[in-house]
Amino acid sequence: MALHRREFFHGLGAVLGTAAFNAMLQAEEAGPLASKQPHFPAAKAKACIMLTMAGGPSHIDTFDPKPKLAELHEKEFQRKDKFVSSMASGKRYFVRSPFKFQQAGDSGAWMCEHFKHLAGVADDLCIYRGLRAESINHPTALYHINTGNRFGGDPALGAWTTYGLGSLNQDLPGYIVLPEISYPQGGAANWSNGFLPANFQGTPLRAKGSPILDLTPPKGVTREHQRSNLDFLSGLNKLHKDRHPKHRELAARMESYELAFRMQAQVPELIDLRQEDQKTLDMYGVGGKHTGSFARSCLLARRLVERGVRFVQAYTAGWDSHDYLERSHRNRIQAVDQPIAALIKDLKQRGLLDQTLVIWSGEFGRSPDNGIRGGGVRYGRDHNAEAMPFWMAGGGVNAGHTIGATDDIGQKAVEVAHPIRDLHVTLLRLLGLDDNKLTYFHGGRFKQLSQTGGEVIEELIA
Amino acid sequence: MNRSTRTCFILCFLIASSVTALRGEDRAANRELADRHFTIRILPLLKTKCFSCHGEAPKDVKGDFDIRSRDGILKGGESENAAIIPGKPAESPLFQAILWDGLEMPPKENDRLNKEQIGWIRQWIATGAPWPSEDVQRRIHQEYRSEAINEDGELVNTSGGVSDDWTFRRYQAADLWAYRPLKHVDPPMSFEPAGHAVDAFINRRLRTAKLKATSRADALTLIRRATFDLTGLPPTWGEVCAFEEETKRKPKTAYSKLIDRLLASDRYGEQMARHWLDVVRYADSAGFANDFSRPNAWRYRDYVIRSFNSDTPYTQFVKEQLAGDEIDAKNPENLIAVGYLRMGPWEHTGMSVAAVTRQQYLDDITNNVGETFLAHSLRCCKCHDHKFDPLPTRDYYRMQAVFATVQFADRNLKFLPKENTARMEEGSKRIARLIKDPGIKQHIPKGTSPEDAAKVHLGVNKVKRKQLQTYQRLANQFKPLALSVYNGPPTRYISNTLRHPFPGKRSGLPQEIFILTGGALASPTEKVTPGVLSALPAVLPKSGKNRVQLSTTKIPTSMNGRRTKLAEWITRPDNPLPARVIVNRVWQWHFGKGLAANANNFGKTGAKPTHPELLDWLASWFIDSGWSIKKLHRLIMTSDAYTRSGTHPNGSTIEKVDPDNALLARFLPRRLTAEELRDSMLMVSGELNVEMGGVPIRPVINREVAFQPRHVMGSVTPCYQPSRTPAERNRRTIYALKMRTLRNPMLEVFDLPGSDMSCERRDASVVTPQVFSLFNGEAPYDRSLAMAKRLSQQSDDINQQVALAFGWAFGRKPTDAERKLTLQHLAKMSAFHAKHPPKKTELPGSVIRTMVEEMTGVTFHWEEQLDIYQKYVADVKPWDLDPSTRALADLCLALMNSNEFVYVY
Repeated sequence: MALHRREFFHGLGAVLGTAAFNAMLQAEEAGPLASKQPHFPAAKAKACIMLTMAGGPSHIDTFDPKPKLAELHEKEFQRKDKFVSSMASGKRYFVRSPFKFQQAGDSGAWMCEHFKHLAGVADDLCIYRGLRAESINHPTALYHINTGNRFGGDPALGAWTTYGLGSLNQDLPGYIVLPEISYPQGGAANWSNGFLPANFQGTPLRAKGSPILDLTPPKGVTREHQRSNLDFLSGLNKLHKDRHPKHRELAARMESYELAFRMQAQVPELIDLRQEDQKTLDMYGVGGKHTGSFARSCLLARRLVERGVRFVQAYTAGWDSHDYLERSHRNRIQAVDQPIAALIKDLKQRGLLDQTLVIWSGEFGRSPDNGIRGGGVRYGRDHNAEAMPFWMAGGGVNAGHTIGATDDIGQKAVEVAHPIRDLHVTLLRLLGLDDNKLTYFHGGRFKQLSQTGGEVIEELIA
Repeated sequence: MNRSTRTCFILCFLIASSVTALRGEDRAANRELADRHFTIRILPLLKTKCFSCHGEAPKDVKGDFDIRSRDGILKGGESENAAIIPGKPAESPLFQAILWDGLEMPPKENDRLNKEQIGWIRQWIATGAPWPSEDVQRRIHQEYRSEAINEDGELVNTSGGVSDDWTFRRYQAADLWAYRPLKHVDPPMSFEPAGHAVDAFINRRLRTAKLKATSRADALTLIRRATFDLTGLPPTWGEVCAFEEETKRKPKTAYSKLIDRLLASDRYGEQMARHWLDVVRYADSAGFANDFSRPNAWRYRDYVIRSFNSDTPYTQFVKEQLAGDEIDAKNPENLIAVGYLRMGPWEHTGMSVAAVTRQQYLDDITNNVGETFLAHSLRCCKCHDHKFDPLPTRDYYRMQAVFATVQFADRNLKFLPKENTARMEEGSKRIARLIKDPGIKQHIPKGTSPEDAAKVHLGVNKVKRKQLQTYQRLANQFKPLALSVYNGPPTRYISNTLRHPFPGKRSGLPQEIFILTGGALASPTEKVTPGVLSALPAVLPKSGKNRVQLSTTKIPTSMNGRRTKLAEWITRPDNPLPARVIVNRVWQWHFGKGLAANANNFGKTGAKPTHPELLDWLASWFIDSGWSIKKLHRLIMTSDAYTRSGTHPNGSTIEKVDPDNALLARFLPRRLTAEELRDSMLMVSGELNVEMGGVPIRPVINREVAFQPRHVMGSVTPCYQPSRTPAERNRRTIYALKMRTLRNPMLEVFDLPGSDMSCERRDASVVTPQVFSLFNGEAPYDRSLAMAKRLSQQSDDINQQVALAFGWAFGRKPTDAERKLTLQHLAKMSAFHAKHPPKKTELPGSVIRTMVEEMTGVTFHWEEQLDIYQKYVADVKPWDLDPSTRALADLCLALMNSNEFVYVY
C-alpha cells in the first residue's frame, strides 16, 4: 500500500500544490479512513443507510399506482423498441395491480395497502417516480445502481462515500454491507472498492455464522493462545523492522494485526441484539416469522450508524415477481414494511434521522404488461428499466413529497425523469460531496467516482 | 504547443496591441492575429460552453440572450446591457460572468472555464472583440489546418473523426511518444564501465540527478528476489545455501547459472502465465447472472503456461491467440489459443436481445485487444472520438469489424499428449453420478404448517434443475472440447446453451459493422470495413503533410483472414506499440512498475516513460533477439539496476529526492501476490504438489463462503467442495478453479483482481481482513500444522527444528535474539497445548440450505449431499499431533504471517 500510496501522493503533489499536498499527507498519517471535511459543510447527512431490494420491486405495485391498468387489464399491449428486452416479444397483455392503494400521512403519499407500518412515517419520505435505470438484467442493473457502471469492477457508492468522508470509527470498516445468507446476483462486486484502495471496500457482516470471515481462529484456539502467538509474531516483526528501518509499510502491517485483535472483541458485541430492549426488538419485528431477517439488518444498520460507520447497505432479495405477483410482492412487502418503518422511527427518536440518509431502491422497475401465463392465474411483471420505485428519508431530503411521474401505464418515467447517474450525484450532494471533486488518480488520470458525473436532482433536496 | 512558446506568442501579441501608433501593415497583421484568435479559440469555446442555452434552442433562449453573433452579444439579454464592452474586459458583464463574479456562467461547476480559456476571452475582448465573417473564418481554418505543426501542437493523420474539429485537433509532442517509431539509440556506454546497456541508460539519469545507487544485494536477497520473480515461489533452503557458497567463489557465474536454472524451470511458465492471465482476464466461468462454468477454459490456461515455458516468440504468441484458427486450424494448439477471444464475461439469458449480446461481445474483445496488445483502452471510442488520443470512433468500429466474423464454438479437439488428463475418468464418473442424482432433498423444518410445506416444492425442484444444469455443463470438462472460435455469418444465440456447436455450414455473409452513434445499437450510421488504428505511427513530418503510415496494412473484407492480418499488423517490427508494450510489462514484472507506469495505457492519460530511450532500446533489442521473452528476462536481470539492494546509504535523502524510485537507485521491496502467498505456504509446509495443468483443482476455501448459496438466475449453485485428496488440492494456485462470482476469500483480500476487467498491475494493500484470513483461516492453520509435522519428522532436537523452520521460511538461520524468543514461545505453547487437547471435529456429509423462492416470496430449505466430504482425505489436523508439535505449528503460523515471509526485498 505505502508504495502505491506514495506514488499517488507524489503525482498529486505536482497537481495540487504544496498546501493541499501536505494536508493530504497529514490525512495519510491519520489513516485512510480518517474523517474528512465534506465539500459542502452545510449538508446534514453524515451517514447513509441504503436498503436494497434485489430482484427489481415493482413501482406499479408499491408507490406508483396506475388506475389506468385496471381499465386495460388483459388487453393486448405492443412494444416497439426492439433492443429493450427479448421478454418484450410474443403476445403481451396489460396486468392491473392486485393491490389496493392508500394515501398516507399529511402529504397523502400513495402506497400499497400492505405498507401498513411505512404509512405511519409517510411524511418522512421523499418518494421519487422519475428514476430510470438502463439495464434489464439483474447483475448489470445492480452493478449500475451500486457503482454507476453496468459491468462491475468499479467502486461502489459506499466506497465513494467513505473515500470522500472517511469514517468516524477507526476500529470498524467505514462501509459495511448486510447481505442475506445468499448474496445478491453479481456477488461481492456490488460492494467493491474497484480502483480505490482496499480500505474502502464494503465489508459484509454476514447474516449467518461468523459475521466477518475468519473473525475468530479455528475452534480450540483461545484468546490467550492467540495473544501469545500475536506477541511472538510481533517480536519477530520488530526484529525484522530493525533491519529494514526505511520500509514504512511494515509498521502498518504490524498495526493491522492489533486492530484485528481488537475487532475480534468488538464485532460480536456490535451484532449482539440482546443488548437492545424488548420494546425496540418488537418495534423492528426481530424474531418475527416474516420480518425477522430484515428486522435484524435494519436494527444492525442503526447500531452501526450510531457507532460512526459511514455507509451501511442492507440487502433483501426475492422481488423478481415474473409470476404470482400478488403473493410474492405481498410477502416481500410484509417482510420489510415493519423493520423499515421502525428504522425510521428509531433513528428519529434518537435524533439520528436528520444526520442519516436512508435510501430504498431496487435495481429496476417492472413492466405494466406480461404474457398471460398459467391461464391467467400467474399474473406477474417482467423487468423494466425505464421506470422504478425509489424513496429517501432523513438528512436533507425533501420529505413529505412525491416527485416526478411515470406515464399513465407506468411504462416509463416522464416527469422529472433522470438517469441513475443524476441520482448518484444527488445522493453525494446530500452527503456533502461534490462529485466533480470526488476523484481518484488511477490508471494515469483523475477518475470521477460517479463515472461521468451528472446533474443534481434539486427537487429531491429540501 | 509547449507552454513557453505559447506564453511568448501571447505576450508578443499583447505588447503589439498595446502600442497605439501602429503602422498600417502592423495593424493588418494584428487584425489577422485577432481574427485567428477568434476563429481558432473563441468561437469553438463559445460554441461548446454557451450556445446550447443562449441561442441554439430558439424557443428557449436563456435570459433572452443570444450569443451566436457579435450583434447579439452587444445587444445583451433581459438586462438590455451589452454583454461585452469592446476593449474593456473587466467592465464586460460576460467576462465577469465567466469569472463567476456576480453571474455564474456556465452554471455547472464541471463546465467552468479554466484559467487559460478565461485568458483567451480577456484577450479577445481587449482587442475589440472582433468577429470575422464566415469567409474569413473559413480561410483561417484552411490555413490553420494545413500547418502540420504550430503553436498549438501537431496534427495526427487518422481515418478521421466525426467532426472536423476532432480530425484537425492538435496533439502535444510529449503525448504522442507511444505512436512514434522506435528510436534507434546507442546506449550511452560512457556511463557504464561494466558494459551493460540497461545500466548505461539508468546510470546516466542517476548521474544527472547526482544520486548514487545502492550496492549489490547479498546472495540471499538475490536468490529470493530472482526465484520469486521467475517462479512465484521461494527458493529452498538448500538452494539458498548452495547459491551463497557459489557466490563466494564465483559471484558472476553463480548468479548467471541461477537465472538459467530458473528460466528452465517449469514453474517459470506458471508464474508468467499468471501475469498474462491478469491482462486477458482468465476465468473458468462466464460471469453475469448465471456465471456458467467454462469447463474447457483450462486448456487455454495451460497453453499460455506452455508458451512461456517453451519461449514461443512473442509474435507467434500474439498471432496464435488472435488468429490461430485462421492461420492453421490443423495445429491443435492454435484452436486452443484462440480461446483468448472468449476470455471476457459473456452471457445470453432468456431476457437478452441477441443483437445486444453480440454487440457487448464485440465491444469487449475490441477493448481487450487494445489493452492487451496495444496498451490502449479503446472503450472510450465506442461512443465518441477519443477525448485525448488520436483514436477516432471510426477506428474503434474498424477494429471491431475485424472480429465481426468471430463465432463461438466448443470444438472437438483431442487431448494433446502434453495436456494433463490425470483423474479425468474419476472426475467424469463423479459428474455422471451427480447428473443421475444431484443429492437434493426437500427439508421441512419442524413446525412448518402443511400449507407452507406444499409451497416449497417449487423451489426445491428449481434447485435440482439448476444443479443438474451445472453438472451437465461440468461434464464437458472431461470431453475433448476446446473453448474456441470459427469464422462465419451471424448465428443465433441460444440462452443457457450447454455447448456452442461448430456448425458444418459456415458460409454466408459476414456481419456488417456500423459506427454506432453514442455506442447505441439503435443508432447505426456509417458502415465500416475492417481496419487498424490509423494514427500509427505518428512520424514527425519533415515538411507539410507526408507521413509514413502503417496503413499499408489492408484487412480483407472476406470472411476469413481478417484476424490474421490484424495479428500481422500488431506484430510488425515497424509497429511502434507491441514491442514497447510487452517489454514494458516484463520490466514491470521485475521492478513492480513499468518504465511507463500504466502498462495498459500508453495514451495521453497514461504515465509517461521515465526512461524513454531505454524503453525504445529494449524494444528494439527484443525484436532483434527474435521476440524472446526469456532472453529479455536474462538481460534485465543481469543489470546492476535489478541486483541492487534496497537499503540506501542516504536513505532520507533518497526518500525525498526520488520517493517513487523512478531513477532506480535502489530496489523496492514488494509484497507477495495472493497466489505467491498461498503457494509459498504450501512450499514451506512441504505439501506443494507441482503437478502441472489439467482441469481446475479446488483448494480449501473458507467453508462459510463455500456453502453460501450463490445466486444464479432463479436459484443457486451447488456447494463448493474442495478436491478430495491433499495431493489434488494442494497444487499451485494458478490451477485453482476461478469462478467469477465465487472467489477464494483468502486470495481476494490479498488483492486478487476480479476477472471482468483487465488488470495491468496488482495492488498490494494492507487491510485488516488479511489478518483474519492469514492468522485465523483454516488453510494457513493447516499449512502450519503440516509444516510442524514435517519439522518433527526431520528432527527430534528443538534447536534443530527451530533452525529448519527459519531456513524453510526465510532461507536463513535464526539470529540469537530470534532463537531465544522462539524457544521461549515454544516452551510456553508446549505447556499450553499439553493442557488443552484439541477436540476432533468432523466434516459435514450434507448441509441444510435456505433461500427465498422468488415466485412465492417464501423461504424454503433443502438438504444437499456433500459427496466429496463423504470420502474426504483431510490435511494434517491438530488432533493428529502431539503437544510439542502443535507448539511448533504456532511457530510456523507466526513465520507464515511474518513480514519477512510476505515481503520480497
